[in-house]
Amino acid sequence: MFRNLSITLQIVMLVALYIFLYMPILYIVYVSMQTTAIWPFPPDFTGEHYVNLWHATDYHTGFRNSLIIGIGTGMISSVIATMAVIGILKYRVKGSKLIAGLFLSPLFIAHILIGISSLMFNKTLLGLPGNLFSAIIANATYATAFAFLVLLAQLARYDWRLDEAAMVFGATPRRTFREITLPLVWPAIFGAFIVSFLLAFNNLEISFYNLGATPTLPTLAWGSLRHGISQELYALAALINAAVFSFLGLLYILIRSGVIRMDFKD
Amino acid sequence: MKNNRLFFWVLTGPGTAFLLLFLILPLMSIVVFSFWRTESYHLYADWNLDNYRVLATNPSYVTFLLRSLFMASVVSFVSLVVAWPVAFFITRYGGQFKIILLLLTSTPFLTGEILRVTAMQQILGPIGLINMALTTFGFDPVTALMYSKTATAIGLIYLWLPFMVLAIHLSLLNFDFELLQVAKVNGARPLRAFWEVTWPLNRAGSAIGVVLVFIPTLASSITSKFLGGPNGALFGNILAHQFGSTGTWALGSAMGVVLFVISLLVLYIVWKSIGDLNRSGITIKGGAE
Repeated sequence: MFRNLSITLQIVMLVALYIFLYMPILYIVYVSMQTTAIWPFPPDFTGEHYVNLWHATDYHTGFRNSLIIGIGTGMISSVIATMAVIGILKYRVKGSKLIAGLFLSPLFIAHILIGISSLMFNKTLLGLPGNLFSAIIANATYATAFAFLVLLAQLARYDWRLDEAAMVFGATPRRTFREITLPLVWPAIFGAFIVSFLLAFNNLEISFYNLGATPTLPTLAWGSLRHGISQELYALAALINAAVFSFLGLLYILIRSGVIRMDFKD
Repeated sequence: MKNNRLFFWVLTGPGTAFLLLFLILPLMSIVVFSFWRTESYHLYADWNLDNYRVLATNPSYVTFLLRSLFMASVVSFVSLVVAWPVAFFITRYGGQFKIILLLLTSTPFLTGEILRVTAMQQILGPIGLINMALTTFGFDPVTALMYSKTATAIGLIYLWLPFMVLAIHLSLLNFDFELLQVAKVNGARPLRAFWEVTWPLNRAGSAIGVVLVFIPTLASSITSKFLGGPNGALFGNILAHQFGSTGTWALGSAMGVVLFVISLLVLYIVWKSIGDLNRSGITIKGGAE
């Protein structure tokens, strides 16, 4: 009796949490398709805001810049995080805990501090102006922590004896990586890329301080939100949510198939 | 063995150098800048303590800091209470749906702060879903939701709760649920079993979750700007202001240092409170199995 009560309570909390997380997202998708944003009931569907968004040229520039930041950050973060996770899990030498701590440290630093410190460091000490490149570098610091976490969780299941076997048969480390490790772990690497790409693509605080006047989608959204209701912004939010969910769906499928292939350790 | 060390450093070296150069060094540099002086958007290296004196003596800065500390404590506590049953259920009863249930709690996080705040504003604001529904059906609107500290708190919980669920889940993954059966056989009620077995053996998960929610909440500026209304500014808003129109970067650096030191302090206190690592649910190698 008491046990059932406790499980019921847990299920209620779970459902309540999903409603709390998804109601705002579903509602904004709904509002983006309505003629009015204020109490749009009964529904009056329109695609007008999406057409306006399509024709808004500043959003095109913002999209392109966000894409550059996302891809740049995703590549840097997934490459250095993959190398580090393999190094830590495969060789397990003294000091790996400290290095793992360094890679995870950005999780414990507020974004605004990463933003302002790299702004001032670049401008005052290096004399560099804010641009897409410095935004990529600054985003890559904390995106690496997430990439590292994703890879650590996935690669912890990898059986390194496979690599040893290849080496015993005379494969060089490089060839072992290319022909044994990479084909087995690439879904995890791809997952790390997607997560770091999305984080940097949608980041406001770090990009904002490092970009000067260069617009990205989040900085445009920020500007638009300051001017009150803009249903184009809701259309944008709906599209980005749709993109994030498709990416994560793809990732889920890949990780599932990847895990199945990596799971023969047990 | 010697080769192992070499390969380890070849693989971790680039990332280590990258983080030291572009994360740690800039963070160190704001400590230096906080002792400098700003004049018309330029930093000058005359060493002084003025910025800290201003922060300590001007009551408004202290007020904003206390407000942020209070907000961060409330948001962390509520997230902890909400996340526990959810993480427990997902880990224990999730079965083959574990990954998808967990992904569903953290996916919204990836759409970014600004779009999530935008969505929240459509729910909570004066013309948001809740208050429009209430007035349409003849009830009084809830003013506490319109541009208030409560709205900011709800927005912040909305943003950072996924971290808490994830942290507790990672801790529970290594927890032996059989122990609860043992507790039950020995006559412990579920609540007592939770307090005396589950909670102490997973306090690392709770602790890391609290830190992961507390730190970004303490520094938050966007949520309070768009949900908090005219009197809802937090320390992060005042910090951001120093880098906007006023251009007082040195003072802003000092505020950043204050935030950073408090973050480290919280991290240290929480770390100490975990106590014996081996009995707290931490997995050193990060393995899930």
